[in-house]
Amino acid sequence: MKSTGKRDRLQDVHDIVSQCDRCGTCLPVCPLFGVKDVEAASARGKNNIARALAQGGLDATPDVLAAVNFCLLCRACVDTCPSKVKTDEAMMAVRQYFADATGGAGIKYKALGSVLKNRTMVKLASGALKVMKRVGINRLAPYGMAPSEFTREEYLARFAGPAALGAAAPASPATLSDNTKVAYFYGCGMKMMFPEAAKQTVAILSTLTEPKLVDNVCCGLPHLAHGQKEDFLALAKENIRLYAEADVVVSECASCSSMLKHTAQYLAGDPEWADRANAFSRKVMGFTEYLVKAGYKPRQKVDATITFHEPCHLGRGQGIKKQPRELLQAASNYVEMPGADTCCGGAGTFHMDYPEIAGVVLDKKRQNIEKTGAAIVVTECPVCLVQMAKAAEKSGKFRAMHISQVL
Amino acid sequence: MLNKEIKEKLRAIVGTEHVLDANLDRFGYSYDSSFVPLLPANKPDVVVRPRTTAEVAAVMALANEHSIPVTPRGAASGRTGGSIPLAGGISLALDRMTSIVEFDEKNMMVTVEAGVRTIDLYNFGAERGLFYPPDPASWKFSTIGGNIAENAGGMRAVKYGVTTNYVMGLEVVLADGTVIHTGGKAIKNVTGYDLTSLFTGSEGTLGVITKAILRLIPMPKLRNTLQLMFPSLDDACNTIHKMLQSGVIPAAAELMDKTCIQAVARHRKMDIDPAIEACVVIEIDADDTEALAKQSKQIEEIAKSFYVVEVRIAASPQEAEDIWAIRRGLSSAVGAMAPNRLGEDISVPRDAFPEIVRRIRGISEKYRLPIAVYGHAGDGNIHPSVLCDLSNEEEAARVHQAVDEIFAAALAVGGTLSGEHGIGITKRDYIVSALGEGGVRTLKAIKQALDPKGILNPGKIWN
Repeated sequence: MKSTGKRDRLQDVHDIVSQCDRCGTCLPVCPLFGVKDVEAASARGKNNIARALAQGGLDATPDVLAAVNFCLLCRACVDTCPSKVKTDEAMMAVRQYFADATGGAGIKYKALGSVLKNRTMVKLASGALKVMKRVGINRLAPYGMAPSEFTREEYLARFAGPAALGAAAPASPATLSDNTKVAYFYGCGMKMMFPEAAKQTVAILSTLTEPKLVDNVCCGLPHLAHGQKEDFLALAKENIRLYAEADVVVSECASCSSMLKHTAQYLAGDPEWADRANAFSRKVMGFTEYLVKAGYKPRQKVDATITFHEPCHLGRGQGIKKQPRELLQAASNYVEMPGADTCCGGAGTFHMDYPEIAGVVLDKKRQNIEKTGAAIVVTECPVCLVQMAKAAEKSGKFRAMHISQVL
Repeated sequence: MLNKEIKEKLRAIVGTEHVLDANLDRFGYSYDSSFVPLLPANKPDVVVRPRTTAEVAAVMALANEHSIPVTPRGAASGRTGGSIPLAGGISLALDRMTSIVEFDEKNMMVTVEAGVRTIDLYNFGAERGLFYPPDPASWKFSTIGGNIAENAGGMRAVKYGVTTNYVMGLEVVLADGTVIHTGGKAIKNVTGYDLTSLFTGSEGTLGVITKAILRLIPMPKLRNTLQLMFPSLDDACNTIHKMLQSGVIPAAAELMDKTCIQAVARHRKMDIDPAIEACVVIEIDADDTEALAKQSKQIEEIAKSFYVVEVRIAASPQEAEDIWAIRRGLSSAVGAMAPNRLGEDISVPRDAFPEIVRRIRGISEKYRLPIAVYGHAGDGNIHPSVLCDLSNEEEAARVHQAVDEIFAAALAVGGTLSGEHGIGITKRDYIVSALGEGGVRTLKAIKQALDPKGILNPGKIWN
């Protein structure tokens, strides 16, 4: 049984990567190839390593696993590819293949995965990053995982002086129906690292609706990304059950909302779950996507120059590009940074696995933020926000915040 | 396999981190964008990434001394296997040589290193109001060194020519490590053989191009795009011929046949009348709006005299973009029609365009294989794409017969094997039928004179 599954996994990989005709269009857009410019680091390189593995030209050796782990899953290559080869899905499938073949994911991913699977553990870790210490990840992250949080209160105190352009804008009636049952999805990253920002998310949602707070479990992306597909499927099913009553599920974590929207495709072959998964994925909305649809007007316009880092899972993952910018224009002096949609190097645990490479990727981002002269960079994903906080600390010229703290 | 001592010497020349010999790294430099199968992998023994001409020269001297094969490589975006290290040895990756060495404003020339990407060269000129016209489909990621070594073309060839028309001079490292400089900035230059032209398009078999002096022209100020739909292929081609004869030279004239049009329609969920046999996308450029409008009007009139059924003149940059999206989406739309696609690159005299397309239709029917035909109708360069499933052995055999006949048809109408991709590995079987025994003997004599040990890119162009 097991071997059939493994073979299928490689067939899945092959179906994706055999569409790559090696043209090279992806080379200049891969942020990692921009730091380490050898073929094996590029999307083309990794797709063809995967293809050779599937066709028996390469053995399943540790260097092959290292190559497929060296991917941000940022989809910049997918976006630019003439054949839309899904490098991210192929890389995740190869990681799963390795996990199946070697009896599980790497110890570090397993440790993180088992913590995130467990509600109580995630809650214990809330705001304190105890979990990171517990699994030893903080030691693997020389740049430090814990960001210094710049709160909404500090933000308003600094910028809401005489230059502020008036009080809270009147709330607009939601375009969604009044009966729409909106539920909030509280992602692990927000819970563990940015509970203050999450409070603001709920406060904003409460101006529009009565958000249902659900004791949800992890979206499963960390598990899917690192060879723990069975855990991912179990978490997905639990969330589907938990949100059965809701009409709309909103998360201010782009990785969560993107994963939840894509959950249906991983249960499509399961007759018991396919329909429910499909219905679930269709009701998921990104935070700013929901706000714009609901006609939300920011609580204030502040005379602060703000720029936006677009998370990969938001822009390329869900096509949500206009909404955050539209809201920020109404809430601040918005300025677009060059390469706003380029990956910040956070990418789940990538910044802990490859701190030096991620550091160079982030440095490019920091320089682009500085070019705008913005005082604040906001984003819509906790892992990106960790990266932005590191960049802010190094720069000293701007602060990093979650978008829900400034709207 | 190279011994340890040679690897140490290579590391001493280019630096330890620029010599790669791990299995996965060697695999990464074993392929290009051709349909040469990925496996068994043509891995080099070692990948060497020099930064300077002096380093390239030292590597070549060492390789020549020990008779080690060397295959130069830019971005490996070539379509015929030019950068595949067929004989192992050294993959000489020039992608670290990315300096724009000099900008000579008065002579309107730039000197660049081989690893400069074509898009960076284009942008460098554009920022100064100057234009580097050659635009192979890979121009956003391929390197100028590779473009020169393959004498790459592109859509603008009809008006602006191909790479060789912009190469004024080259710095080349010969097989034994000697560095020579060909051509120069003088427009008129008949001192000795025209080595610049010889090395341009030599596919890395005669020397390693390390620098190039390229000429630029003033950037046209305005551009516009037209889309013409014809119920017959002949009328589409006749329209283009008449335009050129009348002095209306488009910057690009791209023709797609019915198979392509319907593939794009399906891919983009559009409805296109099945009676349309040919779609022509034309780009025009000029220095002022009057001149631009005049060209549009002339093209429209000529097309009407050849029974065009639809003329769309872009009214905004967005509309121009929409029209070009059809052409740009073609490759993936056609690719989505079958598991494999063999894209060819024949080139025929312009007036033979309808005839060659008819012959390809015949071949398509004879071998029961869909063949999508599109190309640069303005210059007679055609890319027939045979859509197939190569995992089916019986079908694969038919595919190869069909490709053989496509080449034979190209030669029969006075054309040639390759317009802009080169011969490399994929077309070497056909070179004698194109050039004759005497012609190939001449190529080999040149090769023998410049690379007596045969270390530069062995196995390419001929068998």
